[in-house]
Amino acid sequence: MVRSVAERAYLPARNLLEEIGDMMILTGRTIVSALRPPYPYGGEFVSQFLFVLKLCWFPLLISTLAICYAAPGLQAANFLTLFGALDRLGGIFILAAVREIGPAVTAVVLAGVAGTAITADLGARKIREELDALQVLGVDPVKNLVVPRFLALMVATGLFNVYAILFGIFGGLAAELVNHQPLGPFWTTFFENADTTDLWGSVVKCTVYGAIIAIICCYKGMTASGGAEGVGRAVNQAVVLAFLAVFAFNYVFTQMLLATHPEILVIK
Amino acid sequence: MATVEQQFEWHSGKNRSAGVPDAIEFIDVYKSFGSNKVLQGLNMGLPEGMISMILGPSGTGKSVCIKHIVGLLYPDSGDVVVHGQSVPSLSDAELFEFRRQFGVLFQDGALFGSLNLYDNVAFPLRQHTEKGEEEIAEIVNRRLREVGLGDAGQKMPNELSGGMRKRAGFARALVLDPQIVLFDEPDSGLDPVRTALLCELIKEIHAENGGTYVVITHDIMSARRVAEYIAVLWRGRIVEAGLAQDLFDSENPFVKQFLSGESAGPLGME
Repeated sequence: MVRSVAERAYLPARNLLEEIGDMMILTGRTIVSALRPPYPYGGEFVSQFLFVLKLCWFPLLISTLAICYAAPGLQAANFLTLFGALDRLGGIFILAAVREIGPAVTAVVLAGVAGTAITADLGARKIREELDALQVLGVDPVKNLVVPRFLALMVATGLFNVYAILFGIFGGLAAELVNHQPLGPFWTTFFENADTTDLWGSVVKCTVYGAIIAIICCYKGMTASGGAEGVGRAVNQAVVLAFLAVFAFNYVFTQMLLATHPEILVIK
Repeated sequence: MATVEQQFEWHSGKNRSAGVPDAIEFIDVYKSFGSNKVLQGLNMGLPEGMISMILGPSGTGKSVCIKHIVGLLYPDSGDVVVHGQSVPSLSDAELFEFRRQFGVLFQDGALFGSLNLYDNVAFPLRQHTEKGEEEIAEIVNRRLREVGLGDAGQKMPNELSGGMRKRAGFARALVLDPQIVLFDEPDSGLDPVRTALLCELIKEIHAENGGTYVVITHDIMSARRVAEYIAVLWRGRIVEAGLAQDLFDSENPFVKQFLSGESAGPLGME
């Protein structure tokens, strides 16, 4: 009984560890390929970047606006009204929108919209043996397919993070207006709590989210097997793994940022 | 559970020489995927300048052989030697250079879905040569005409039938004048007439260009039409190999059963 349970747990755990190892290797190969000449991926980078922009700008706008209006906006406003401290909502938005919700929603939208499209595209190419054909024709799929997607997602998540923060703050402003409050106190507490560390920390974190999503989604696409069903499975696994990895990284990054910049722990 | 002796009861390993040196050699190659042992001590030589066929039942490791030849897979143990060069010992950079001597026709053509037929066939030329667009156009159009797709250059792969995709893949495989052309089940998914036409095309182009052709199939009619040399693969090892006529005359019960398509014999449904 114990042995059978152990065997059942051992194989999936081993497979998961092997996959994580393979993804680490892919990350290393991607970085080396991106830096080492030649650089044939410029055109593909631009097309992937535009593809991500086109797919994600609207879902991201709606998601950040709605979640920031509802969660830290209306909910926190209700709570703060108890203490007559609704002006503090601006300060909360530094914690909520800039440090956490902006990057998190950006990662979720990009993994769900662009990451899955990347996995499906590479998975279909794998099933049709296009990736094998590329290699046989002397083309390195890492340099020509993974690197441009990796760079495009990193740049796009970094930039989209600022965009998500802006629309998130609009959500907070909307919550203030719904509560018939002037916007001045909101901005005052917002800028009192704002620090450049908040902004660069948020952008760096989100850029790394893009790298994580790109590697997981490319890896899952390039290792898809088992026909159309296999591609569907790969897409599903890619999005689940990407969410887990992003949230795990968020924990590590946040701990490190707070430990190395204790001044941002102080709420003013 | 069959013993090793029972498993390889019919594998005489007899290798009748074709009288020419081998272009490709598998030396005691083992390859497993998880618990699935695909190649189990494969020793096989494929002669230079001939059309060789690797024949065998489905799931016996034929496509795995092709992937070992071009370095898409590596053996767990043993060696794969092409023109005297050990494939597993090549570095990534050497491997990309080494692959230029190959043309590969994948099962479904493996055309790039985002490129039209012309650009698919031109892709290797643009990637590996310094030729100008005029010269590329001349070569691509000649190759497309050879495979009967002279007017289809602007079509996208999803507008083509299975047979057309295979012929287009064949044109792309030939465009760099490779020394070795590998065909992974060129007959799969084709009706008998189109299979026959594709086989004729393979023979014609081989007669015209020369080189070593390796065709993987389980279709006996294709083997009769095209093969000059046959290696029969089963359970990851060679049962027998030799010139086509010698194999068709073989007395080995497995080879006899497989090449005649009989239901009675060592090969069952397992």
